[in-house]
Amino acid sequence: MLAAAVRLFTVQGSWSYERLQGIGAAVAIEPLLRDLPGGVGGEAYRRAMGRAAKFFNTHPYLAGLALGAVAKAEHAGVDGEQIERLRSILKGPLGSVGDRLVWVGALPVASAIGVVLVALGHPLLGVLSFLGVFNTVHLGIRFWGLGTGWRLGMAVGRALSSPAFTAAMRYAGPSAALAVGFALPVAGVWLTAAFGLNDKIGVAAVVVVGAVFAKWLAPRLGAARFGLLAIVLALLGGAIWP
Amino acid sequence: MDTPMVAMLLAWGLVVGMDLVSVGQVMANRPLVAGSVAGLILGDPVSGMMVGVILELFALEVLPLGASRYPDYGLGAIAGAATASGSPGILGIGLGIGVALLVAWLGEVSMSAVRRFNSSDVRRRRERLDRGDVGTITRVHLRGLLRDAIRAVGLAAAGLLLAQLARRWSPVDLETAVLVTIVAIGIALATAVHAAVRLSGGGRGVGWLATGIVAGTLWVVLL
Repeated sequence: MLAAAVRLFTVQGSWSYERLQGIGAAVAIEPLLRDLPGGVGGEAYRRAMGRAAKFFNTHPYLAGLALGAVAKAEHAGVDGEQIERLRSILKGPLGSVGDRLVWVGALPVASAIGVVLVALGHPLLGVLSFLGVFNTVHLGIRFWGLGTGWRLGMAVGRALSSPAFTAAMRYAGPSAALAVGFALPVAGVWLTAAFGLNDKIGVAAVVVVGAVFAKWLAPRLGAARFGLLAIVLALLGGAIWP
Repeated sequence: MDTPMVAMLLAWGLVVGMDLVSVGQVMANRPLVAGSVAGLILGDPVSGMMVGVILELFALEVLPLGASRYPDYGLGAIAGAATASGSPGILGIGLGIGVALLVAWLGEVSMSAVRRFNSSDVRRRRERLDRGDVGTITRVHLRGLLRDAIRAVGLAAAGLLLAQLARRWSPVDLETAVLVTIVAIGIALATAVHAAVRLSGGGRGVGWLATGIVAGTLWVVLL
């Protein structure tokens, strides 16, 4: 189980457009399949590995829940088609639960906490708090997922309907909005602390104009290219302006 | 930058670049972490921290859903910190963010290339993979990890080279440096507002965002 848990950290290591996480999922589940009848190299093991390496994609932190359940089903001698259906059915819900809990909830909240602490003059605490808060959720989900999947097998769907999950999903977005909202003025004041009044007014103007253009351009270009475009324009403006 | 410093930055780049997708995803790749540590290595923790915080505001927009591609802000933060380090005050920050965003974008493009190589590897060995040949499965996986390691170190090295070029031959005068820094900070905050509205999900979520902004503003005004 420990070997599978460690390998799960590389579940996206061979991500491809052909099978997405499929190869990484097979590598992660392999230690759990060694005890199948016939052992390593036996017919059951090879068939299970062949199924495991097929197309698979879900939230990387919750992949263990699906893979633990699949490994348990292989040990229970469940029909191959049913196992493939289980993998297929779990991908979507696990992906959307993980996205909501982690990318929309835990990550922005941890990021906002880190930024606020750095801006308040506690850089080390800020970075460590960010990593600590985020990875408490991250590692908790990973280890809980693999253990629960292995315990529940084909009944793994029950794990997703728990009240704790429902509540966490409901509050993930609002918590992130509140935390990021708090962080924005704190970060803004810290980043402009060295500026005079005119420069601070300049930053405020860029924020207003930038927010209007961001609504239009950021979804098309992405924030990095949008920011790069603004900086190139500023460089050109600085070069041309007498 | 001396050789041991470059070696340490490349080693940190390996960790940061692979953390984006392939190994761990413990968020060492987030610019707040990547930039801060790079600043410490460079002996200018303040510049590293400022670059990290500004890029962190840009990175709030990233939702790494499914097969989506996204910029490598972590490797960008290392290049940005290397560009800004040693500049007086905050004068190097704007240019540093420019270099960082360019590297972050190159990171997005290079990740796509790695995935195409992985796909080609998988296509060539489809039959053996479908047979459940554990040796083939393991080798395909290890090659995928190796490709990403090469991408991470290569892009970290390219970022450091760009940083050196920007520092040595930058035509930016004092006023332009201030202007670029103002724009970099302003655009970072603007994209963060845009990302926060999206995260809130609209409706009552926007109310939570507004509450947060009011509370944060009161905090900085009153305390």
